[in-house]
Amino acid sequence: MLFTPLQRLLWMVVLVAAQMLVFNHIHLLGYATPLPFVYLLLLFPLGTERWRILLWGFACGLLTDIISLTPGIGAAAMTLTAFIQPLWLELVIPKDAVDNLQARYNTLGFWPYVHYATILTGVFIVAYFLILSFSFHHFGDFVLSLVSSWLLTLLLCLTFEGFRKKHE
Amino acid sequence: MRALLDFLVKYHHWLLFIVLEGLSFTLLFQFNHYHNSVWATTANSVVGRVNVWEQGVIRYMKLGEVNEALTRRNLILEQNNEELSRKLAELTHDSTWAERQQTLRLSNLKKIPAKVITNSVLRRNNYMTIDRGEVDGIEPEMGVVCGTGIVGIVFMTSRHYAIVQPLLNGHSNISCRIRGSGYFGYLRWEGGNPLYAVLDDIPRHARFKVGDVVETSGFSSVFPAGIFVGKVDAIEDSNDGLSYQLRVHLGTDFSQLQNVQVITQSFQGELRELEQKADSVAKL
Repeated sequence: MLFTPLQRLLWMVVLVAAQMLVFNHIHLLGYATPLPFVYLLLLFPLGTERWRILLWGFACGLLTDIISLTPGIGAAAMTLTAFIQPLWLELVIPKDAVDNLQARYNTLGFWPYVHYATILTGVFIVAYFLILSFSFHHFGDFVLSLVSSWLLTLLLCLTFEGFRKKHE
Repeated sequence: MRALLDFLVKYHHWLLFIVLEGLSFTLLFQFNHYHNSVWATTANSVVGRVNVWEQGVIRYMKLGEVNEALTRRNLILEQNNEELSRKLAELTHDSTWAERQQTLRLSNLKKIPAKVITNSVLRRNNYMTIDRGEVDGIEPEMGVVCGTGIVGIVFMTSRHYAIVQPLLNGHSNISCRIRGSGYFGYLRWEGGNPLYAVLDDIPRHARFKVGDVVETSGFSSVFPAGIFVGKVDAIEDSNDGLSYQLRVHLGTDFSQLQNVQVITQSFQGELRELEQKADSVAKL
């Protein structure tokens, strides 16, 4: 199922609201903070104009920044991930796939989808934490936060995807 | 222009990406104090390093000029050092009376220090080259002395070098006198031993003895009067028997000569011109 802009906007509002109300308050063991609003970028199908993805990514990141009081961090990380998403999707999707194929469990298969989501969330989390910390003074803590947040974010994205599949 | 537009249309997503990232980082540095300070510190550090590197390059490029200035300064210091060493030697050692007197006499004259770069004492007509020339104010017919006596007369000059005709040259003929008596004659070198020269034309009625000091007479524009030349070593009759011929032990050891001074007299040119005029009138 392909999204209309309104549905995509709805997903964005839900994800940003969830980030503000729930995920921003989670600091598992003092390190892991999930940032699942990146899931919005995983939803874009093959063949979407790149400028569209960039603008959506930037807008979603900026909105999260405003509510999280982290101006510029989410926007920069989301824009970078939005720039990479179509390139990565082309590599993951089979050559004979239809033009507007969306990355899903049933279109790619479970593990290829995990592969797809791992890299994109990884790019986003690494960019986000690099910009956030802006130094390597506490490198151990930095790596611990990054890896744990990555795993938690990936887990949530895979859960959202499973939730979508169940309700279709 | 068209090509540029085509390029922008084709790669518009790159442009948009750069603009959005630029906007994000502007917000980041504008509204986050921590990022702003880290950025400012890093930028300062980078700018500082670039400046240090730039200064290094500029300094390297200017090394030629610095080298030149140092060489000039070195030369001046060398001259000062020489002068101070000489003064120190004067104060700490019991130098000979003649040398002290000579220094006193020369102290009122303008002198140009020079180094001997080539020298010979074995030929009949010896010449020496010094490392000063026209650019240093050296002209032909200027007198050359050293700490122990007279050396010779500047014979030829180039821009940076000069050839000196020393006493040890068959063509040298310098007017000298016996100190205290005022009798004068002409000093010449007969070849052979570089430590001895001959003073001709001393009248027979002159009173002097072996060991008396021979000095310049001052009868020419080349040397001022009273500069030490040597000491009377032996007294002989001249070939015609009308005058004495004195063997003079020269004060200057030409075989070890290294540093000399060229004497420049203010009115030397004028005096020479007058002498030439007088000669030409006498010929008429």
